[in-house]
Amino acid sequence: MKLGILFSGGKDSYLAMQMAADNNEISCLLTMNSHNQDSWMFHTPAITWTKLQAESLDIPQIIQETEGIQDKELDDLFELIINAKKEYSIQGIVTGALASTYQSTRIQKICNKLDLWCFNPLWQLSQERLLEKLQAYQISSIITGVAAEPFDSSWLGKELDSSTINELLLYSKKYRINPAGEGGEFESLVINAPMFSKKLKILSSKIHFSNFSGRLEIKEAKLE
Amino acid sequence: MKILLISTCKEKLSEYEFVNPIIEIIKSFEYDIINYRNLDAINFQIYDKIIICGTSLQDNDYLNYLDDFKKLKSHDKYILGICSGFQIICSMFDEQIVDQEEIGMINVQTKIHNSLIDGDFQAYNMHNFSIDAVNSFNILAKSKKTIQMISHKTLNIFGVSFHPEVRNEQIVTNFLLI
Repeated sequence: MKLGILFSGGKDSYLAMQMAADNNEISCLLTMNSHNQDSWMFHTPAITWTKLQAESLDIPQIIQETEGIQDKELDDLFELIINAKKEYSIQGIVTGALASTYQSTRIQKICNKLDLWCFNPLWQLSQERLLEKLQAYQISSIITGVAAEPFDSSWLGKELDSSTINELLLYSKKYRINPAGEGGEFESLVINAPMFSKKLKILSSKIHFSNFSGRLEIKEAKLE
Repeated sequence: MKILLISTCKEKLSEYEFVNPIIEIIKSFEYDIINYRNLDAINFQIYDKIIICGTSLQDNDYLNYLDDFKKLKSHDKYILGICSGFQIICSMFDEQIVDQEEIGMINVQTKIHNSLIDGDFQAYNMHNFSIDAVNSFNILAKSKKTIQMISHKTLNIFGVSFHPEVRNEQIVTNFLLI
């Protein structure tokens, strides 16, 4: 089946794509660039750099700008998906949705209206199993945003490897956070993975942080 | 206890979403998984309980295999049909299926005391078809618009039009405990 991936550049949407790629053709990446950093629907911190990821993946990308106003952003998502259907003849959409019925309900309704299949291969996956899968699939990602206690600025730019995953699992017990960030505790950017032809290298960045909340502003990056 | 999970997914990719979450709930029991296209190869007699899982909104291929599902009636097993599985058990008893899109969390009210759940609760619905009325079943729970839970009047067959694996896992657990 020809599929479009709702792609934010983070670990969940990449993993969903990798799982879908086993038996399907990945025709395009669909990315929402939300200008609202508090969007309930879309991941925001390092969306600009998905262009380099798309280049490394050698998969065409469609980017839809949105102001991120609650209902209007769904109209923008509808437009993005209908454009992908027209341009790439996709038969379905893949998302990295795990547990949010708010997100999944809205995407399912759009797909149903457009007569498209909707696949959510991570749906209801536990946070621990998700972290295991990221390691099993050898997906390297860095943390680009944090928004919970006890994260400090040293977490911004940190790679999600076995050592940081162990730390996150400890935090999940001590601070009751979701260790894979499902509650918005952190955001990630995939820098290398099996479908990448080149690794994404961050050349310069700036940390913005205060009171357990911050983001990594990537200023320069390249594929190598 | 041995459980048979029947996948109604045409696409393998849908099974992560509709079968794996059920496995997570029942994994402490012995179970087998079979796809609806292979039902004729199954000896139903070796199973104590059967769960017919849901599938994607666009997926209706299982409707081409209703005759194979109808064979389940003669085995007198405990059966739970989820979403497409709900539609299948209704079709097994010739109940009339109607077009009815429901996607999202919906308030549900229990109408008859039953072994699966009590009181009012919210349920995750995702279907394009439902039923308006039933002849062979009791209505256990309803939303404002639709019938949400049924049980057969004489057989141990239950159906839920929503997805209990999302926020109502105890319904599946309670089914296993009956």
